[in-house]
Amino acid sequence: MELAADNNFSVLNRIINILNRRRVRIKKLMAHENETDFRKGGVIFLLHTTEDMIEKVSNQLEKLIEVENVRSREGSDLYFELSERIVDVD
Amino acid sequence: MDALLTKTEEKVAAPTIKKIKGSEILLRCLMAEGVDVMFGYPGGAIMPVYDALYSYADKLTHILVRHEQGAVHAAQGYARVSGKIGVALATSGPGATNLVTGLADALIDSTPVVCITGQVFAHLLGTDAFQEIDVINTTLPVTKWNVQVTEAKDIADAVAKAFYIAKTGRQGPVLIDITKNAQNELIEEFEYEKCESIRTYKPKPTLQLSQVEAAAKLINSAKRPYILAGQGVLLSGATKELIEFSEKTGIPVASTLLGLGAFPQDHPNYVGYLGMHGNYSSNVNTNECDVLIGLGMRFDDRVTGNVSKYAKQAKIIHIDIDKAEINKIIKTEAFILADAKDALTALAAKCEANKHTEWIDSFHQLDKIEYEKVIQHEFSPTSKELMMAEVIHRLSNKTNGEAIVVTDVGQHQMVTSRYYKFKNPRTNVTSGGAGTMGFALPAAMGAKLAIPHKQVVAVIGDGGYQMTIQELGTIMQYNIPVKILVLNNNFLGMVRQWQQLFHEKRYSFTEMQNPNFVKIAEAYNINAKKVEKREELDAALQEMLDSKTSYFLEVVVGKEDNVFPMVPAGAGVGEVILEIPKK
Repeated sequence: MELAADNNFSVLNRIINILNRRRVRIKKLMAHENETDFRKGGVIFLLHTTEDMIEKVSNQLEKLIEVENVRSREGSDLYFELSERIVDVD
Repeated sequence: MDALLTKTEEKVAAPTIKKIKGSEILLRCLMAEGVDVMFGYPGGAIMPVYDALYSYADKLTHILVRHEQGAVHAAQGYARVSGKIGVALATSGPGATNLVTGLADALIDSTPVVCITGQVFAHLLGTDAFQEIDVINTTLPVTKWNVQVTEAKDIADAVAKAFYIAKTGRQGPVLIDITKNAQNELIEEFEYEKCESIRTYKPKPTLQLSQVEAAAKLINSAKRPYILAGQGVLLSGATKELIEFSEKTGIPVASTLLGLGAFPQDHPNYVGYLGMHGNYSSNVNTNECDVLIGLGMRFDDRVTGNVSKYAKQAKIIHIDIDKAEINKIIKTEAFILADAKDALTALAAKCEANKHTEWIDSFHQLDKIEYEKVIQHEFSPTSKELMMAEVIHRLSNKTNGEAIVVTDVGQHQMVTSRYYKFKNPRTNVTSGGAGTMGFALPAAMGAKLAIPHKQVVAVIGDGGYQMTIQELGTIMQYNIPVKILVLNNNFLGMVRQWQQLFHEKRYSFTEMQNPNFVKIAEAYNINAKKVEKREELDAALQEMLDSKTSYFLEVVVGKEDNVFPMVPAGAGVGEVILEIPKK
């Protein structure tokens, strides 16, 4: 799951809080500032859960005021692809 | 040379820029947002704001409550009846944590509230300073949004965003935590700009015609369509649209707990109140309809009962402003992502005129069963003991269903929801989702201050009353003429009922030894009376309603008076019971 958000204090807590409430298991996560604008950022998760739960938490995450968008894909490819890209930029 | 010096000095002595403190900026921002009354309790970290308030006493009314929980519940009551944003102030640490219950209540019941808390100096954050608590993380799960401000220059922006977020989309509570240095800091005069958008926040979904058409198709082909109206109807101001839609399509309307008042109860298409203690017909026919339209409601477990047995025969249409509610509990056949008003307006244009006389009549047939098994006995009891239902029934008749009635949580709440015939929107104020005991007394204060010309009656049980009883001091100090009706059964009645029905009458810690409530009210200079006999009830209720000042009436009711119908825990809505099951 990939989220784009404003890089405010507590945003990560808000996101994690929703996943915790739904007991969604986080296998890996990477949070980062946007490389061109420090006021924006994002989080990439590798989650272990069902498709139905992904739909439900995505809707809840999209409700967060600072979250711009949420997208998800089955499998671990997206996580490694995106996290490698962020590591490369750093 | 001298002349040159003089000229330079003149340049230096340009007009000085006026500076004001962050605390005063906050008050000016609140006024710019239309705030006229707020509820609060001072303390060390919010003292600069209270100091500024001293100079604004003629412009901003501040009500000194007796506990911060009272402040936030009063703000909720104010917001629920007025449609405006309620504001509460508190200090750091315990002052802020005392707001948590009210914030959680406001979040789950979609109530627009802005809470402002003082915080320790910014350089002390994270050091375990006196009365320092991480308010942002503490309130994060119970607010729609929260923010900490550490510099005066950011106060105006935070307030503007807070008010915008609280009132738009699915409404809810917001908290602003302001460090003491930011309150004291002097900055240049400022221009307040209301917030009209936030880059990442899309509060109002764009109505999709395709969604409306799909829903209309189901409605037009339905033989037994059924609308479940929730608080979303009230929040979007869609009562008129709902009446028109129901009249055009002939669809019966039932109400959730928070939706009471959204559709007039004397309307021929009104078929009752839903949920665990709702009407027999409205629950049973949920499992008989062919198209179920959830309108501005969230299929709460108190409405659905056992979800696996809920409306399996029906095609479900869900209309809500909050995308996260769609398919959260009940899988839908069609949905409209919009507020109730926009959705009904669009649907009305696509739905055909119809009548469902036989279908509505089936509700009335079931109503007869409920009347015979439950209501008849409750209105005309054979026992000496007063019953809760007869008290509320008489209150409803005496006020013609037009008072603002604020309830707490428990049996009295369910009985009021069943028997008070709410005629108008925003007259039923209760703690729905959170089920917060102690809500009613402070919420009634807030409601009365918002709509002073309306009769406001707080109906409370003896348990919940004692959770925020200290607010009698606020009622006394500000002469708030709320009417307080306590139904006293000397029990935590709802828990006792469950113990009776499902725990073999093992009344574990539910019986209460209560104080002399009349003397307590009188100690606060509130006129008070206690009634134990049926023949005294009418006159006592009338005296309470006629009183120009606050009034406390205690009615002693049967200790083991139960609320029926009831959908037992784990049962489906079709398995609603009307009496104590025979073993």
